[in-house]
Amino acid sequence: MDYTKNEMMAIVTGRELHDGELAIFGVGLSMLAGYFAQKNHAPNLMAFTEGGVFGSTPVGGLPWGIEDCRISANATSFTNAIDALGVLVASGRCDVGIIGAAQIDKYGNVNTTGIWGDIPAPWKAHKYTMPKVRLNGSGGANEIAVGCKRFIIMANHEAKRFAEKVDYISSPGYINGGNDREKYNFPGGGPCAIITNLGVLRPDPVTKEFYLESYFPFSSVEEIKANTAWDLKVSPDVFVIPEPTEEELANLRAVDITGSLRKK
Amino acid sequence: MRNKLISMKEAVAKYTWDGMVYAHGAALPVGSDSIAFGREMLKQGRKDLHVISNCNTQQTNLLGAAGAIKKIEVGFAGLEVYGFANGLKRAIESGKTIGEDWSNGSIPLRLLGGALNWPFVPATVNIGCDEAWCEAQNPEVWPSTSKIPDITDPFTGKTYGAFPCIKPDVASIHVTMADIYGNAIMLGTEWSRYELSRAAKQVVLQADFIVDTDCMRQFPNLVRIPDVVVDAVVYWPLGVWPQCSVGVYDSDEKEMFAMNKALKTEEGYLEYRQKYVDGYATIEEYLDMIGKDKIAELTSTPTKFLMDPYRKWIKTDQEIKELMERR
Repeated sequence: MDYTKNEMMAIVTGRELHDGELAIFGVGLSMLAGYFAQKNHAPNLMAFTEGGVFGSTPVGGLPWGIEDCRISANATSFTNAIDALGVLVASGRCDVGIIGAAQIDKYGNVNTTGIWGDIPAPWKAHKYTMPKVRLNGSGGANEIAVGCKRFIIMANHEAKRFAEKVDYISSPGYINGGNDREKYNFPGGGPCAIITNLGVLRPDPVTKEFYLESYFPFSSVEEIKANTAWDLKVSPDVFVIPEPTEEELANLRAVDITGSLRKK
Repeated sequence: MRNKLISMKEAVAKYTWDGMVYAHGAALPVGSDSIAFGREMLKQGRKDLHVISNCNTQQTNLLGAAGAIKKIEVGFAGLEVYGFANGLKRAIESGKTIGEDWSNGSIPLRLLGGALNWPFVPATVNIGCDEAWCEAQNPEVWPSTSKIPDITDPFTGKTYGAFPCIKPDVASIHVTMADIYGNAIMLGTEWSRYELSRAAKQVVLQADFIVDTDCMRQFPNLVRIPDVVVDAVVYWPLGVWPQCSVGVYDSDEKEMFAMNKALKTEEGYLEYRQKYVDGYATIEEYLDMIGKDKIAELTSTPTKFLMDPYRKWIKTDQEIKELMERR
């Protein structure tokens, strides 16, 4: 069957979303995964964006932002940031969120703020050294990580992105592992999956360290381990996730009308 | 009631100054923002700004590229699908601008705290992470104990954080339509403009349309920014370009990329500035700069119908001119 790694990633992420849930998506890939789920198997998924745009679907192509005209042409409600990110997300009310990551570590902490490279990161230097490359910062992902009952992280699987410890925690996963989230009284449960273009990682229920649960038909345990900078544990029951069905692919492509995921 | 309609030039001269705490009122990085106001600030040479920005936009991207921002407190520093904001990124990476990171949920709460005159806001987000531990204005200490200090919930004994409140000196806020007194309606998400309009010590509105006050009387529930918190109203059509104003025009996709590409280098910025900042003096010249065909394309937005209920109250350019003269 002809499909791309990114399409597989979006479909597998979409399968994590269930009918009737309240869900928040970011822009781009996570939005496509979310609207795919709504079209494919979760017609009553209630979706909103952190921009406070409710009840809408993209018109005329993938939105350039979660507030632009393409996502605002058929909305049922426009509210605001405190409503979307505070009342519905940071409060602990939202069932599931999807966020992206520039860098991610074994406890599911997400960095979208900067890449330090050979400069010692703040946690190593014990001062706020400036990153080599400045990225965008948290946006609303910090609220999603703190407040959603569970959240999914989507990232390209590369060793430089999958670090033992992130340079900067923009959005907290399990911080230093175990029950570390309890220190901060976060209402949300933390990341439930890291879904990459190669496979799916899940947190150990006790240590919260992410291990390899499953991989895609076109990848392998070896390839995934080679692209992970920490010593990735592999589930004894590791399995191959089946290819997308014809129906899933058709539904994804109906959402991804510009074919952004089809580019290899 | 006072007629608050003034020209862009006058508004920037009167309500902005070097070293001020300046906030811009926007809808995330690619929607509404008072971008024309920012261009005028550059024309008038404003510098050393301390900017409050829930999201970067092309305004802060441009002000950053110009070296006019001393410090920016920001929730999100990019341009969403349009990529990194090259001008601001360059300013922060070079050390010219101090970038203090927050999130899109915490900046509005800090503004709400400012609006309510609270001493601080309890922080349940931005804790247990580097937004709390890394303080750009006090980089020698990690983890920081002064950016989001720990506090104890007096009822449960649990530990949370405390956000400092924000009261900007001035906020320039883009709205879809305003009357001459400063009552305003925003189409699309209001994002953090409600609390911003109350937190700032002075507020200048930049409106796509000036409408009759009867429009506000027809839809008072939609007037989320009432005249009592507004000091001045500026009419500037297509003033969010190249970004979009929901209900009025789409984002100019080609120009969004072109502008961001230009801001990546000092030479590109200087060229951009010459053409798109210093290249016009009046509204007519500004609109000519964008071009008739482009404006026709952008204003045929799929969201156009959202303006339908309000059209009969829109003031013509001639009427606006007369209202300005009568002030």
